[in-house]
Formats: sequence, C-alpha cells, structure tokens
Amino acid sequence: MFDVTTFAQLFVTGLAMGSIYALVALSFALLYKAVGILNFAVGEFVMVPGFISVVLLTTLKVPFLWAYLVTLGLMVFFGAVFQRTVYHPLRGRPFVTVLVSTIGASLFLRNTSLLTFGADPRVSPGLFTAKTVSFFGVFVPPQYLLIIATLIVLVVFQYLLFEKTLLGKKMQATAQDRDMARLLGIPVDTIILITFIYASLLGGISGILLAPVFYVTADMGFMIALKAFASSIAGGLGSIPGAIVGGLFIGVVELFCAAYISATYKDVFAFVILIAVLLLRPQGFFGEKIAEKA
Amino acid sequence: MRVKRFSLRILFYLAAAIVLVALPSLVRSNYWLGTIDLAIIYSIAVLGLNIVLGLTGQLNIAQAAFWGIGAYTAALLNTRLGWPFWATLLAAPPMAGAFGVMLGFPTLRLSGRYLALATIGFGIIINLILHNWKEFTGGADGIPGIASPVLGPFKFSTNASFYYLGLACLIIAALAQLKIKNSRMGRAFQAVKENELAAELSGVNAFKYRVIAFALCSAYGGLAGQLFAHRTKFVSAETFFIDMSILFICMLMIGGVGSIAGAIVGASLLTFIPEWLRFLQGPWAMAIFGLAIIFMMVFMPDGLAGLTRSIVQRIAARINPDGQEAAGRPSSGRIGATGEGK
Amino acid sequence: MKTILEIQGLTKWFGGLVAVDNVSLSIREGEIRALIGPNGSGKSTLLNLVSGVYAPTDGRILFKGQSVLNKRPHLLVEEGMKRTFQNARLFSGLTVLQNVMVGLHGQTRGGLFGIVFSLPGVKEEEKLIFCKAEEMLEFVGLHELANAPAKNLPYGQQRLLEVARALVSGPDLLLLDEPAAGMNPSETSQLMRLLEKIRNRGTTIFLVEHDMNLVMEISDSITVLNFGKSIAQGPPAEIQNNEGVIEAYLGKRARYA
Repeated sequence: MFDVTTFAQLFVTGLAMGSIYALVALSFALLYKAVGILNFAVGEFVMVPGFISVVLLTTLKVPFLWAYLVTLGLMVFFGAVFQRTVYHPLRGRPFVTVLVSTIGASLFLRNTSLLTFGADPRVSPGLFTAKTVSFFGVFVPPQYLLIIATLIVLVVFQYLLFEKTLLGKKMQATAQDRDMARLLGIPVDTIILITFIYASLLGGISGILLAPVFYVTADMGFMIALKAFASSIAGGLGSIPGAIVGGLFIGVVELFCAAYISATYKDVFAFVILIAVLLLRPQGFFGEKIAEKA
Repeated sequence: MRVKRFSLRILFYLAAAIVLVALPSLVRSNYWLGTIDLAIIYSIAVLGLNIVLGLTGQLNIAQAAFWGIGAYTAALLNTRLGWPFWATLLAAPPMAGAFGVMLGFPTLRLSGRYLALATIGFGIIINLILHNWKEFTGGADGIPGIASPVLGPFKFSTNASFYYLGLACLIIAALAQLKIKNSRMGRAFQAVKENELAAELSGVNAFKYRVIAFALCSAYGGLAGQLFAHRTKFVSAETFFIDMSILFICMLMIGGVGSIAGAIVGASLLTFIPEWLRFLQGPWAMAIFGLAIIFMMVFMPDGLAGLTRSIVQRIAARINPDGQEAAGRPSSGRIGATGEGK
Repeated sequence: MKTILEIQGLTKWFGGLVAVDNVSLSIREGEIRALIGPNGSGKSTLLNLVSGVYAPTDGRILFKGQSVLNKRPHLLVEEGMKRTFQNARLFSGLTVLQNVMVGLHGQTRGGLFGIVFSLPGVKEEEKLIFCKAEEMLEFVGLHELANAPAKNLPYGQQRLLEVARALVSGPDLLLLDEPAAGMNPSETSQLMRLLEKIRNRGTTIFLVEHDMNLVMEISDSITVLNFGKSIAQGPPAEIQNNEGVIEAYLGKRARYA
C-alpha cells in the first residue's frame, strides 16, 4: 500500500496547503502581535483578493501581471479601510469588543461577495500551462511549487524588513510597547496602519496563489480562517516563526491523516492537533511561557 | 414615597405577568408563536453565555456546540431509550456541563484569547462528529420523532402550549442566574474578571471559578438544546454550527454583556429582526447585520442595557440636578438610611 | 511571644539581578513590623515572595511554623495571611460592600444548589458576611459609601477599602504594601490610627512603607533593606541612629535619621 512516490506527492501537496495556511496565519499573528486583536475576518482577507483576481483574469481578461498588481493594489486599500473602520474606532477597548467587530466585518464581506460575485464556485486560470512537472521524480502541479517558493521568499523578505530596516524596527517597537514607542517619536498610528496593510497584502498573496488550485467561493474564508487559528495556536499565538511552522505542520499532517486515516474527518485533524497542543504544550511550539498571574 | 414606589413595582410585575400569560391569545399567529418559542430557547442559551462573558469575562465561541450536545442528549435518550421530557430535562444540562468542564480544564488556565480559539476548535469538532457519526447521530438526516413534553393530561405539542413551558424554564433560568450573581459565587466570578491576582489573594481560587462558570454556561446551553429538541421534535447537525455560536455572542453584546434582562432582550431582538428583514434577500440581510454589528460595537459598547442605564441616569439628573453629585452615594437600602440620618 | 513569620536565607534572582539577597527575619505575633529601604531595595519583592506571588530562588518562609512554598496564594489566605497592593487592586465593577464581601469568600461554603434554592444555611451565611462586611466598613470609616461602585472612590479611600477587604476575614498576619502612598496628610494620620486599632485587635502587621513619620511612629520594630540585603533590624529609635541606615538613605532621607 505504502509507496514512496505517493508519500512524496502527498508531502508536497501538504506543504503547499501548509504554505497557504502559514501565510494566512502570518497575517493573523502580525495583527495579534501588533495590536492584540484576534482577526476573525482573516479568511476574508484571502477570499476577497481571490475573487478580485478571478474576475480580472476571466471576466475582464486582464494579463496576469496586471491582474495580480491591481489585486494587490486593491488589497492595500482594503487593509487601510479595514484598519480605519473595524479596528481604529475600537482601539483600547476590551479584546472581545474588537473580536466581535471583526466577526461583523467577516459577515459583511462574505455576504457582499456573495451578492457581487454570485454563489457559483470560480477558478482562476493558472500561470502555468503544464498540469504537472517532474520534481526529483515526483509529479506535482507547478502552482504548488510556486506557492512554496513564495512562502520562502516572503519569509526572507519579512526577516530583512523586521531586522534590517528602520520601518521594521518601528513596527516591532510599536508591537512591544505602544506608549513607549509614542514617547520615542514613532508615529504609532501610521505604523499600525502599515501593519494592517501588510497583513492585508499577505492575505492578497494567499488569495492570488490559491485561486488557480482551489474553488473561490464567498464562504471559503471561513475554513481558511479556522486553519489559520489552528496554525497560530500550534505554533504559539503571536509568534512569527510559530505561525509559519504551525501552518506547514497543520497542512502536512492534515493531508496525511486524510489520506491514511479518514478523508471524512479531514477537517477535524487540524482541531485535534489544536486541542492536543493546548493540552500538552499550551504555549505552542514557539510561544513564550504564558504567565498565569498578573 | 417608598410605599408608592413599592406598589408601583408590584403593579409593573402584575402587568408584565398578565401580558406574558395572555401573549398566545394576543398573538394568535402560529408562525409568530413559533418564533417566540425560539426566542425563549435562544434567551436561555444566551443567559448561559452571560455567565462566562458577563461575569468572568471569558469568551466561549462554542455555545452552539453545547446547545447541540443538550439537544442530541435529549433526542437520543428520548428516541432510543424512551425517556420522557422530564427525564431528559435532568440529563441534558449536566451532560453539556460535563463537556464544558472537559474543554475548560486544559484551556482555562491560559489567557482568554487561547480559550476563544480553543472553543472554536471544539465547536467544529463537535459539529463534524454530529455530522459524520451516522450510526449514532443520524448524520445529516438527524434524529426525527422526538416526543413532545407531557404533564399529566397536558401535552405541550402546539407552539402556544410549549410557550408556557419554555417561559417557565426561562424564568427559572433567569432567577437562578440572579441568585448566582448575587451570591458568593457571583462575587467570586466578578472578582476573577476584574482582577485575578487580587481575587486569589482574597481567597478565591480563580481557576476553579472559571471552570464552574464555564460548566454553568454549557449547562444553560444544554437546557436550551433539550427544549429545542422537544419543541422541533427533530434535530440535525446543521442547526448547531458555529454561526449560531457567533449569533449567541452578538445577541449578548447587543443586549448588554453582564445584564440578565439584556441577554433576554438581545436574544429576542435578534430572533425577530431577521424575520422582519425577510423582505430583503438572505445575503442582503446578513451583510446589513454584519455592518450593524460593527456599528453597535463602536457606538453602543455596553449594548441596550448600557444605553438604558445612561438614559435613565440622564433623565434622573435632569429631574433632580443635585442627584448627579449623589450618584456615587447610596440611593436606597439599609446602609443609605444610616448615611442620610447623619 | 510566639513567632508568626520566619524568613531564613531568602533569595530571589530576576535574570542576572538579585532582588532579595539572603534575608532572614522573624516577626513576633502582635507586632507592627515595618520594612523600609531606598527605592529598588527589594521590599516589594520580599512581600511578593511571602504572599506566594513569586517563588523564591532560595531560602525558607515559615508562616505559623509551616512552609509557604509551592502553595497557591488563595491557600495561604485560608491559613490567615492577607495582603494589599502598592496600587490598589479593587474589583472596580463591584460595590464597596461587595468588595469587602469577597474578602470573606473563604469563610463561606454555600454550593450551587444551596445558592439557587436559597437554602437556609446559605441565607444565614450571606447575612452573616453582610453584617461582618458592614462592621468592617464602619471600622475603617467607609460605611457611608457601602453601595457606591468601588471605582468611584477617591484614591485614598480605595487604599482603605483594600485594607478593609484584607482585614475582614480576621487574618493573623496582614501584609501592607505602601499603604500610605498617594494619601494626603489627614488620610495618613487616619491610616495610622487605623493600623494601631488593627494591632490592638491582635493582628500582626508587616508593612512596606516610604512615609518615615508613619513608620517611626507606629512600628514596634523595623527591618532595613538595601540592595536586597538586610542591613539593620531593631526598634525605631535604634534604626534612626544606625550609621549603616543613614548611609543607605544619605542625602534623600538623612533628615529623618
């Protein structure tokens, strides 16, 4: 039953899905770290650009490069609007209030997308014409390799951004201690706005990458958000490396469990992992020790 | 003055009681009576949420799952073992409560944000099990043929008769919560919410009270589920999806977190508003609903209960301008009397 | 007189910094012991160690002859040790009276069933702690504000409320972390009288305090910390003339010494 080629194919597919989860979890973790919110609309951060890219590519027949650039441009705008309407008026309020506000945003985006784009699942054409390519003897869809490569590039980019640029340092300072950052003359509100835009762009990239291999529907954000939550917890809530490793881990484990244990319960495994992590190592793989007391 | 106020209060309760008893004959429409029954059931589930979110300040995004556990417990016990309504009434809330403890134990030592995410996972797992464990739960077909409650010669099979049964349960649930809120337990819950360390150093075991609150919350959910199963006579997994958990939270936020009356009003409003919005197509209504939630959070963070409170205060201040200064002072009761005597 | 609190070789490291360094002291039943020292000398850390908020790196803490290590704070409370905080940590949503009633939590037993059905035992218990809480508010002078939300109290009264909440259960040892901080002179002298009244009830007081007038006036003995080390111990008159202490406080507090 067990053969190496199937195993390798499953592994690459799992890594590709995991890379998407990692990107979304990264978006989720960034906002958690920067402003302490749990963004329940993170799935819609993927669904909206997914639809935009599909419409640009199929209905409007825009060339790939332009379609992707326009989508990402719109996501910059989307992130800014999201920050101004859903978060900014509620800054400083209890986290439950902001959380419910993002739930409201998620409902709004899901249903307006349903009204705008219809209920039919859409698929965007891929960049690649070949169905599969041989990769060390394993046949995988090139889009999967692109997804994994994009994650690697983004991780390097983000490392350089946070560690080597002044903007990155300002973002870190703001996340760590907002009042102190303000005293140091960092324009905290602008930095938070930039963080939202960056989180939105991460969603945009995920949406663009996912659209050719996954049906784009108004409801797709929901499952994606749930996987991102599971990834974040597994990796350690608010940990950047944790979000990446957690996402990859969930993606791979989920696929193997679906293939070798039960396809029906495919979606359960992510949450079984989540509960198991909470039981055994509640702070996640990379989380700091959780202070029990004040 | 005091006598007048007292008799006014009695009059108010009397009028409320008459309206509540006469409601089925006033409404008449079977459809709207059914909606009222549903509002009562939701109110009980939301009251449960109020214990966790309102009193201890934790977020449970799995109330629909506990609601479902209560409903399936009742459905299975009734259809497989022939347990009547009154027997499942005693079984369903503890069953849901036990699941609550099971989820609470590993997660309630962590910060509230972990709990929020863990409860989502739990809700999804429960829902998928209800969906896929066909031999036990009937899968997507659900479990039909649940018996209506019977009490002696009375059978609560119509919406109107079930209304009285549901109302009795709601009143008992609300009164029980009022008792809890004003007891050592309720004070411990609120102490943990306000300042965990100070609570511990006052002798309150914070973790224990979080678990108790969580168990109570899920038991309320279980009670709502049990009533639901015996009212609709049919349960299936779709009903108990995470959407409902979120709706329950919205009901509580709109009514006013921490307020018992707010929980009931919020649940009733959000049961009826979608019905009134029926002329709008489904997605339109939901999109507007989503926007409304954001607006609510921004402009009415304390819900209708908070709004009412501030309006009452403003009116009181206008009627009695000196009253404003006395806002921090006792307004009634034994202690106030000694203070005024000075 | 019996010893109520015994500290032996207590040490606490935070990373590479030693906050409390091999401190030993013992407090007799019924005394008022003050812990003083310049800012950052480890006073609050010591209090946090005694009350179980931090775990020590090394050393022993015996309360009534029993080790307090590895006991959750709420268990220490049951054994008769209560404390207040440097910045009042009240339950701001509860009323003044309810805050005090939470302090009596350990003395009530009512379970869910009894509460929901208002069993006689629960009712009685509730009445009893209600009266006790009222008495305590009278004792500290806050009874007129019993029904006000705790958050509406001015700062000085919040500190008093915290003392009331801690004292109401009749602890044998009361730990006070800078009780006079933020109080005006009249509130401070009110506090001094209150502390003496508390001592007269038989409660031992162990307090960290900056206000030297208060410390010198009411303490039976004083322990001085500097850089985490205990540098002097003795009655107020002795401490005032101790050269090591004068040195530690030099400049800033020399006039008291």
